[in-house]
Amino acid sequence: MIPILHTERLTMRAPRWDDFEAYAAFCASPRTVHLGGPFPRCDAFHKLAAVLGHWHLRGFGRWMVADAKTDEPLGIVGLYYPEGWPEPELAWSLFDAAEGRGVAFEAAIAARDYAYDTLGWTTLFSAIEPKNTRSVALARRLGCTQSGSFYHEIYGDLHQWRHPAPEARP
Amino acid sequence: MTPTIQTERLILRRPTKEDWPVYRGFMMTDRAGFFSSSGDLAQTWKSWAAELGHWEMYGIGMWAVTRQDDDMIMGLVGPWTPPHWPENEIGWMMLSSAAEGKGFATEAARASLTHAFDVLGWQTAVSYVWPDNTRSVRLAEKLGAVLDPNAQAPSEDTLVYRHPKVAA
Repeated sequence: MIPILHTERLTMRAPRWDDFEAYAAFCASPRTVHLGGPFPRCDAFHKLAAVLGHWHLRGFGRWMVADAKTDEPLGIVGLYYPEGWPEPELAWSLFDAAEGRGVAFEAAIAARDYAYDTLGWTTLFSAIEPKNTRSVALARRLGCTQSGSFYHEIYGDLHQWRHPAPEARP
Repeated sequence: MTPTIQTERLILRRPTKEDWPVYRGFMMTDRAGFFSSSGDLAQTWKSWAAELGHWEMYGIGMWAVTRQDDDMIMGLVGPWTPPHWPENEIGWMMLSSAAEGKGFATEAARASLTHAFDVLGWQTAVSYVWPDNTRSVRLAEKLGAVLDPNAQAPSEDTLVYRHPKVAA
């Protein structure tokens, strides 16, 4: 039920149990500091399994972004709409292995195109913790503009970055 | 192919998104106090997503326990095998107080153990139980499981009950 997306350098696919170690390492790393982390291994399994369950509950969700050649897991990117979220979000979390290669940008474009062109959505935002300057930079590169904010019990104040509408995509 | 199990009175089937309202109703009540996401709707939603995700990841998971003539989920019983678990577990969680006292959890757990040993080929099976959860302790004992003090537990405060291997 989870479609596979192919980009120039990436395969976006369903997470598998053998992605767990890479994901658990990410969860335990400082990379999750803007996401309520770091998280222990027991949380990592629930979070990874929930990425799959999200597809069942919503009909869309996030992909494991993997290197198209080696299948090495590089991050989780896609459409995120858990209970308590104001509207569906384009979310990204990248592992150390994805560093400095434009992986997040490439995967985010593919996920956004999927939302607009396959699902027929007309708007999309990304929720970003204001101190997460790298995510803010990526949002800008994707053509987003800051459009508001909301408060979340765990994550605190999150800024909403609005993506260009389907016809306004760069 | 997704295994569905029929017992004397029950159907054990893969849980679906349609079961979410019952799960939510249970987790948002005091009755769910043993589970870490109880009382928090966002965490409860994610824990349900993880329940479905376990099936997607392993092709098996905890079954939705239903009556043969009523598809409403009464509980979740069956294999729980996340990568950070020391051993393969048969877990249980009864969601409906109306279904209690009828032996449904026992019936579902027995069928799960038989499936685990005979179909999945498990060599052994444990259940992780919080000591304060007396209902759960009683169920483990009713199933013939015995405390295994030498087994590794997923967390310090958890009891490990080891199940007898049932004959095929």
